[in-house]
Amino acid sequence: MKRTLLVLSLGLVAGTTAHVGWFAAKRPAPVDSLDTQLAWIRTQLDLAPDQYRQLKHLHEQLGPRQLQLAAEVERLRAAFARFERERREAGEVDFLEVARAAADSRSLDRECEASARQLVSAATRVMTPEQRQRYLRLLAPALKDAAADQPL
Amino acid sequence: MSPAPDPLEAALQALSAETPRQPGSVQREVWRRLAHAESTPTSRTQHGWWRIEAAFAHPAFATVFVAACLLLGLFLAEVRLNRAQHERTAALERGYLQLIDPLLSATHLPRAESAAHQP
Repeated sequence: MKRTLLVLSLGLVAGTTAHVGWFAAKRPAPVDSLDTQLAWIRTQLDLAPDQYRQLKHLHEQLGPRQLQLAAEVERLRAAFARFERERREAGEVDFLEVARAAADSRSLDRECEASARQLVSAATRVMTPEQRQRYLRLLAPALKDAAADQPL
Repeated sequence: MSPAPDPLEAALQALSAETPRQPGSVQREVWRRLAHAESTPTSRTQHGWWRIEAAFAHPAFATVFVAACLLLGLFLAEVRLNRAQHERTAALERGYLQLIDPLLSATHLPRAESAAHQP
């Protein structure tokens, strides 16, 4: 009885330790920075060190602008959500403010598309045709959106 | 002249005459009780436990059991890692796509299942 329980406990401890240890040792790094994303792109596209350097430089140069645009997009989305809430609750909206936000939104859309096109075309210039194809395949969801208005 | 009767045969006949015949119901009752005793949950559990104990008493079986637990732990860790890797790839893809196109809404972004792009 004692021996059986001992072996069962030993098996449980061995299995749990192996599971936790192996998972902790091999756990993938968290996605927390542009560097992580670029390292992923490098793996996906088999970029040479020189290509990676150029791509990284490009993203570091244009990335902050993209982040600024993303913040602006968020701000406008929140504004439109607020207009909608006001329309439902109060039954009226400030049309002047809505028209101003809509104009901002149109201009921001154009700016985002131009910026995305600039980044993607600059990035594809440092790639081989095969890498370019793979890169564009990765960006398919974004390009599909952009292509709705104008081809890249 | 007839041969003298065998004393052993006479003794056997006397014995069978003296031993009362077992009624058939007794035999059936014994078998019924045995079957009932073997089929009770307590008896089955005891029997099962006894077999487990007998198996674990063998050092070879105990070693194989511990090794199997260890391998099972490793296998489950690999399954978890695979899933974590898929989720990470999807998160990387989402993050990069949002960086490229800030207008891209969450509904257009790939989910974990479709994220495993192979070069």
